Amino acid sequence: MFHVFYTNKITKKTDMNNPLIKLEQVNTWFPNNKSILGKPKFWIKAVSDVNLNIIEGECLGLVGESGCGKSTLGRTILRLAPLYSGRIEFMGEDIGQLDGKVLKPYRARMQMVFQDPKASLNPKMTIFKVLSEALHLNSSVAKENYLEQAVKLLDLVDLRPEHIFRYPHEFSGGQQQRICIARALATNPKFIVFDEATSALDVSVQAQVISLMKNLQKKLNLTYLFISHDLSIIEHVCSRVAVMYAGQIIEVQDAGSLFDTPRHPYTKALKNAVPIADPESRKELGILKGEVPKLSDPPSGCHFHPRCDYKKDICSKKNPIVYKIDENSWVRCHFQEELWQQGVLINSKESL
Amino acid sequence: MNNITLNKNLKPASEVEPVLKVRDLNVAFNIPRGQAKILEGVNFDLFPKEILALVGETGSGKSVTARSLLNLIPGRSGETKGQVLFAENDLLLMSDKELQRIRGNRISMVFQNPQSSINPVFTLGEQIFRLIRLYLSAAVEDLKQKTHCSQKQAIETIAKEKLNEVGLTDIKRTLKLYANEISGGMAQRYRIAMALISSPEILIADEATSALDVTVQAHILKLMKDLCKNKQTAILFITHDLGIAAQICDRVAVMYAGRIVEIAETKKIFANPLHPYTKGLLKAVPKLGKNEPLSFVPGIIPDLVNPPVGCRFHRRCDHIMNICRKQKPESLKFEDNHNVSCFLYKQNHKENRHE
Amino acid sequence: MKENPMAMQTDSYDIMAQKVIQEHRKVKWFQLRRLLKRKAAFLSLIILVLALVAVLFAPWIAPYPEQGQGAVNLEHRLQAPSPSYFLGTDVYGRDMLSRVIWGGRISLFGGVCIVFFAALIGVPLGLWAGYNEGISGAVISRVVELFLSFPSTLIAMAISILIGAGWFTAIIALIIPWWPWYTRLVQGEVLSIKQTLYVEAAQMLGYGKLYIIFRHLLPNIMTPVLVMILLDLGPAIIAIGLLSFIGLGTQPPMADWGLMVWEGAPNILSEWWISIVPGCAMFMVVIAFNIFGDALKDIFDSKG
Repeated sequence: MFHVFYTNKITKKTDMNNPLIKLEQVNTWFPNNKSILGKPKFWIKAVSDVNLNIIEGECLGLVGESGCGKSTLGRTILRLAPLYSGRIEFMGEDIGQLDGKVLKPYRARMQMVFQDPKASLNPKMTIFKVLSEALHLNSSVAKENYLEQAVKLLDLVDLRPEHIFRYPHEFSGGQQQRICIARALATNPKFIVFDEATSALDVSVQAQVISLMKNLQKKLNLTYLFISHDLSIIEHVCSRVAVMYAGQIIEVQDAGSLFDTPRHPYTKALKNAVPIADPESRKELGILKGEVPKLSDPPSGCHFHPRCDYKKDICSKKNPIVYKIDENSWVRCHFQEELWQQGVLINSKESL
Repeated sequence: MNNITLNKNLKPASEVEPVLKVRDLNVAFNIPRGQAKILEGVNFDLFPKEILALVGETGSGKSVTARSLLNLIPGRSGETKGQVLFAENDLLLMSDKELQRIRGNRISMVFQNPQSSINPVFTLGEQIFRLIRLYLSAAVEDLKQKTHCSQKQAIETIAKEKLNEVGLTDIKRTLKLYANEISGGMAQRYRIAMALISSPEILIADEATSALDVTVQAHILKLMKDLCKNKQTAILFITHDLGIAAQICDRVAVMYAGRIVEIAETKKIFANPLHPYTKGLLKAVPKLGKNEPLSFVPGIIPDLVNPPVGCRFHRRCDHIMNICRKQKPESLKFEDNHNVSCFLYKQNHKENRHE
Repeated sequence: MKENPMAMQTDSYDIMAQKVIQEHRKVKWFQLRRLLKRKAAFLSLIILVLALVAVLFAPWIAPYPEQGQGAVNLEHRLQAPSPSYFLGTDVYGRDMLSRVIWGGRISLFGGVCIVFFAALIGVPLGLWAGYNEGISGAVISRVVELFLSFPSTLIAMAISILIGAGWFTAIIALIIPWWPWYTRLVQGEVLSIKQTLYVEAAQMLGYGKLYIIFRHLLPNIMTPVLVMILLDLGPAIIAIGLLSFIGLGTQPPMADWGLMVWEGAPNILSEWWISIVPGCAMFMVVIAFNIFGDALKDIFDSKG
C-alpha cells in the first residue's frame, strides 16, 4: 500500500542542484545573561543545524508550535537575526557573512510580511510614505515615479489608489496586510517570507489574502516561505512543507503527502491535534504528552524523544541522521524505517 | 463512534428546559460618532449538558454577547435591552450585588489570555485556596471531620483533587508558582479548575483556546468535552475557529454583525448550511486533508453606527431580493434544531407548508 | 534584476496618480480644521496668541512702559484697580498691568527657553540611548541617573551661584537639571517602539540607524514629548519665579510673574491684586498650554 504512496509522491521534477536558497548547518543562537566580560552564561538555541533548500517558484511551508524557532529561522534567512554559524546561500552566493551596504542589494530581493499588519506599519506614515520607503531600494524606479509606482502597487494588491495618502489606522486588518504585501513587492523581490501573515485575520479575510498571495506568486514568479502554526492553511497554500520542533527541522515532504503519510511521530501528533472544520471527520483529538522543551537546554539526542511514544534508548543518546525519502523529502528519526514498515504513523484515522 | 454518543446526549429541545434563555438581546455602545448597535435581537437557548458554539468573525458581537450576559462590559456607556433568563431570573434586571452571587459561582467564565487573567502577585495555591474557602466550606468541614486533619490540609487536599481533574501534574510544586512561571496551557487548565470549583451550571469560554498551540489546545478541548459529559455543565464556547465548533460542539450559532443568522446542530449546519453568510464562511475555511479551493465573501462587515436597513448581510449577499433591503429577517424554523434568519427560506417555508 | 514586472500600463497609472494628488490636498486642510473646531482648544490658542502679542509689543501696549520696567511712582502706592491704573499699583506705585506685561516677557520667554532647550538636548540623547544599548547608551543612562538623583532646584541653585545671578543665567541654570527628564521619557518610549515590526521592516529594507531614528522613532515619540513640553511650561515659569524669589533669578526692579506673586504675598489680605494679577496671568497661560497640548495630543492619537 505504501509503495503506491511512495511512487505517487514524486510529482514534479525540480532542480535541486540549483535551489534559490540553500541553508547548510545553520545555527541561530542568542546569548543570554551576559556576564561583565560579555561572555554569555548560556545560549538560547533558537535554530540548530538546519539544512534546507528552497526551490525557485515553490511555496515552502514551515510549520511548528510557538517557540520552536520557525520565525527565527525566517529572520535568519533574511539576515535579520544573527547567524551563529552555518551558510546561507541566495542564488548561489553566500550571504551569511555580508553586512551593511554589501547586503543592501540582497535585501531588495528578499522581503518579509509579518503577522501583525497593524504593528508593521508606522502609524505616523501615510501609505505613500511607507511604499516610497521601500521603492527607494528598487533601483529600477526613479524618484519622480514613486507616486505612479505606488499607485501601481496598490492596484496590484487590489486596494483603491485613492487611499494612498491615508494613514494605516484608516484601513481594516486585511487591507493593512495588503499594504504590507505591497511594501514587500515594491523592492521587486524574488523571495518573500510570510511570517504568520494570515494568523491575525478572520477566516474570510484570510481566504482573500491567500488568494491574492497565490495570484501574485504566479504573476510575478515569486518564491515563498510561508511560516505558520496552522496546518490547514499550510496544507492549502504550500507545495512543500517543513516541520520544525525545538529548533530543528524534523521532516520535509510535499504538502499532499505530509499529512496523508507523516513520517515523523511529531508530525503525526501535530496533525491529530488539529480540529478539522468538518463534523463528519470528528475524531478524538490526539493528545501529546509533556511540554515543549526550553531552547536554552534542549533534550539530548533527538529533541522530541521525551514526548515520543516510540522512543528507545538510542533516541536520547544519538542525534538522528537525515533519512532521504526522495529528492525533496527527508525525515530525521532513528526509527523512521521501522515505524514506516509497521504503518503506525499513517493509519491514525483507523486507530480511533 | 464518538459523535454518535455525543448526539445521543443531545435531547430534543422540547423535552429539556434550557438553563439559559436569551431573548431579544440588544446592546448599543455610545461612541463619539454616535450609537453603535453592537447586538440586535439576539435569541438563543443553552441546554444543560450541551456545548453551544457561538462563531463569528471579528466585530460580529460574539464576545459582547457573552459579556453582556453577566453585565461584564466595563467602561462603556450604552444600553442593554432584552432578557437573559437564568433560573427564572432576568440577569439584566439584577443589581451588581445580586449578579456577583452568580458570576463565578453559578456561571463561570474563562478568557482568551489565561496568564493575564490570573492575579500575578499571589501564588496559584493562595488563589485557589481562597476560592475553596468561599465555595466549598461545607466540603472542607466534611473532610476535616472525616480525616481529622487541619483546615489547611483539608483545603489543600481539595485543591489537589480539583487540579488533578483538569489534568495538571506535579501539583504540589504548581501550587507554589506564580502566574508568570507557568505555560499558557497550564494557566488555562488552572483557570478552568478555578472556574469549576463552584460547580457552575454554565461555563462561558471566550476564545479560551485561541492563544494556545494546537497540541495544547487539543488537551483543553478534550477537557471541556469531558467536563460537559461528566459534570453536566453547559458550555457556551465562543470561537472564531470553525474547526473547534465542528469537533467538540453539539450546536453552532453563527453570528454576523450583531445578529445570529443561523443556529443548528453541528452536523446539520456543516452539511447543509442555509444562510448565504454561513455558506460563505464555511467555504473560506481550509480543511486539513481536503484540499478544496477556498472562496470568500467579498466586502467587509458593515458599520454598526449606521447598519444597513433590513438584513445586515444584504450588501454582500449573492441572493439579494427587494425585501432584504427593507425588512429585518425573522428567525425561521427550517427543520428541527435548525433555524435561519433569511428571506430565501421564508418562501420555501411557506411552500412547504402548502404542500 | 532584469525583469521588472511593474513596467507596464504607465499611462493609466499616471492619470490615477494625478487624481490622487488632488484628493490629498483636500484631506490635508481637513486635519487643520479639525483642531480649530474644538472650542476649548481654539480659546486657549486665542489666549496664547494674545499673551504672545502683549509680550512682544510690550512698549506699545503697556500703559506705563517705564513703570513696567521698574521705574518707581511713589505718589500712587498700593492703589486699588481704577480707570487710570486698570489693575491697581504695587508697593512702589507701579502700574500692575504694565508690570504683568513686562514680567510676562521674562516668564514666557524663560519658560519657553528652558523647555525648548531641555527637549532639544534631552530628546536626541534619549533617542540614541534608547536605540543603542552599547557603551554610548549606557554612559548617557548613567549621566541621566546622576542628574535625576539630585533635586533639580538644588542643582539649579548651585549653578546659579556658580555662574552668577540674573534672569538669563537662571534660565541656563534651569536647563541643565531639566533635560534628563526628556532623555528618560524618550528612552523609555524608544525601548518599546524599537521592537515593533515596522522598525524591523525598515531594517529589512536596509535602512541605517540614523534613518530609523529620525523617520520611524522620532515621529512616534513626538506626542508624549509635545505633551510633556506643554505641561512643563507651567513648572518652568514657576521655577524661574522661585529662583528670582531667593535672589538668584530676575533682579529687581525688573520682575517676572513668579517674583511678582512673591512680592505681593505679605500684603495678600489687604492689597490682594498685587499677587492675584500676576498669579492669574500665570494660571491662564499655563492652563491654556495644557488644554492646547491635550487637544493636540488627541488629534495626534486619532491620526495613529
